[in-house]
Amino acid sequence: MFIYITKRFLWVIPTILTVLLLLFSLSYLLPGDPADIILGPRATPEMAEELESRLGLDKPWYQSYLIYLQNIIKGDLGTSIFRDRSVLKVILDVLPYTVILTLAGMGLAVFNGISIGLLAANYNNSYFEKFLTMLSFITASTPTYIAGVLLIVVFSVNFNLLPSIGIGDGGLLDSIHHLIGPALALSVGWTGYIARLTRSSMLETLDQEFIQTEKSFGIPRYYILYKYALKKAIKPIIAVIGLGIGRLLGGAVFVEVIFNRPGLGRLIVDSVNERDLPLVRGGVLVAALLFVIANLVADISYAYFDPRIKQK
Amino acid sequence: MFKSQKFFRFQKKSARVIKIMKKDYKAYLGGSVIMLILISAIFAPLIAPADPYKTNVTKRLEGPSLQNLLGTDSLGRDILSRLIYAARPAVLVSFGGIIISVIIGIILGLLAAYVGGILESIILFIFDVIRAFPPIILILVLLSIIGPSLLSVIVILGVTIMPRYGRVVRAETLSEKEEDFVEAARSLGADNSRIIFKHILPNIFASVLVLSGMDMASMIMWEAGLSFLGLGLQPPLSSWGVMLQESYQYIQTAPLMILWPALAIMLTMLGFSTFAESLRVALNPKLNQEV
Repeated sequence: MFIYITKRFLWVIPTILTVLLLLFSLSYLLPGDPADIILGPRATPEMAEELESRLGLDKPWYQSYLIYLQNIIKGDLGTSIFRDRSVLKVILDVLPYTVILTLAGMGLAVFNGISIGLLAANYNNSYFEKFLTMLSFITASTPTYIAGVLLIVVFSVNFNLLPSIGIGDGGLLDSIHHLIGPALALSVGWTGYIARLTRSSMLETLDQEFIQTEKSFGIPRYYILYKYALKKAIKPIIAVIGLGIGRLLGGAVFVEVIFNRPGLGRLIVDSVNERDLPLVRGGVLVAALLFVIANLVADISYAYFDPRIKQK
Repeated sequence: MFKSQKFFRFQKKSARVIKIMKKDYKAYLGGSVIMLILISAIFAPLIAPADPYKTNVTKRLEGPSLQNLLGTDSLGRDILSRLIYAARPAVLVSFGGIIISVIIGIILGLLAAYVGGILESIILFIFDVIRAFPPIILILVLLSIIGPSLLSVIVILGVTIMPRYGRVVRAETLSEKEEDFVEAARSLGADNSRIIFKHILPNIFASVLVLSGMDMASMIMWEAGLSFLGLGLQPPLSSWGVMLQESYQYIQTAPLMILWPALAIMLTMLGFSTFAESLRVALNPKLNQEV
């Protein structure tokens, strides 16, 4: 197990270095001359030169790449062009919102998904189970942005129950009130997936011998279901949570745009639209780091909860 | 004689798959949705009641009526016609993207499994770098480099999803290579290309098919999502994502309008994923359970 984890960790380092190289090369790949975009048509050649040296565009690429790496190790992601603030600060300002949103979405997905899955396993082969299976299929195939739009149409426009934009005035209750819609929208797709996983995992566990033995001892059904079976069936679900957090990070892009919330996803979309190169690089780097960490945790928890993986 | 035997075996296998799927309501649901989309895409000019690009400013944002069954949008265009025409980019993106993914994935996966060594490490490394980004963010950045158009959306989606196929093909090829029948074929003097085409590809076909059904749903989802953000297909082209974006601006005044493209996207995804699920159950009788 230890060797497996170490190997996975070491494998991440060259991946991140290549990600950095790709992000670095964005300044050569993005269409248009950065100096032109930033300074506008009235720039003098001197201004352009000064900016190019500030962005490191006047040196050969490998030199600027090394400088870029050095700066990143120092924690300096550059300065946002349009916000005139340190990229790291801009990102750290919005990151907590994305983290809270993702965790809330995952929490809702796990809770609702396990509930639906347990019900479906309990009433297996009934019409109710068919309905729940269809429900989990429908939720699993609802894109985050559609869930968001539909939630706004129903709860904000029609019933005026939930606020459709923003994060509230800072108070705890108001923040939660503003979080319900976005978190629900984010959770929808993963709810269906967890529901299906729970159902199949429960059915598999209920089929095993120790459950039959317990039944023959006359242990009450709900006791078997929730005490013994769920304990065993929950392992594959815990194993996919890491994977889910990575997926939800991507979904958060849409949720933040639709609900007009600050966050990493919206920051990246905005900076891509504004062609704010340092901000694009910094934002995508942080998103990729979070994603890689989530996947790493997912792989390790998979290996931990499902020992068959380790042997592969 | 040999050939007819082989054909017979293939027929027997597909007959079994069809037999299982015939009992599955998900296959009917998914199949009919996919048929509906394909028919709308191919025969759009015949089915659509009006020209999807014809604007009429006097009839903006109207509700459903006999003349415009689903109402009109902000420029007075017929929503139903636009929905039907929008099946075209959806079909192009999903089929085009999946073809690119599958072809590149199979080639790289086979190369990795067969050549091994440094080449295998490089290929796996490329997969890992692509998978290091959240897909939507990778797609966003790549689109901003190449610029949004139908072709670039197709290519970028294909490349982003490709590592899934590469990894599956590599893993299955590695395990198939160890199978006795491959060893037997090799000892009879079959060369690599014969083994790949006659023995390995037919055996990984099932997983690739099931996986691509699911991914076609995600591609339609991503295309619509990108267009919704204004970064994918561009108006006035009718695509469900573009319609979503256009009607999102009127969500407070005409909330009904946004439901139609939303339903179209959901129905399409449901269709592809239920069909893929049914296919998965039918092709892998060992895994006769849902996940």
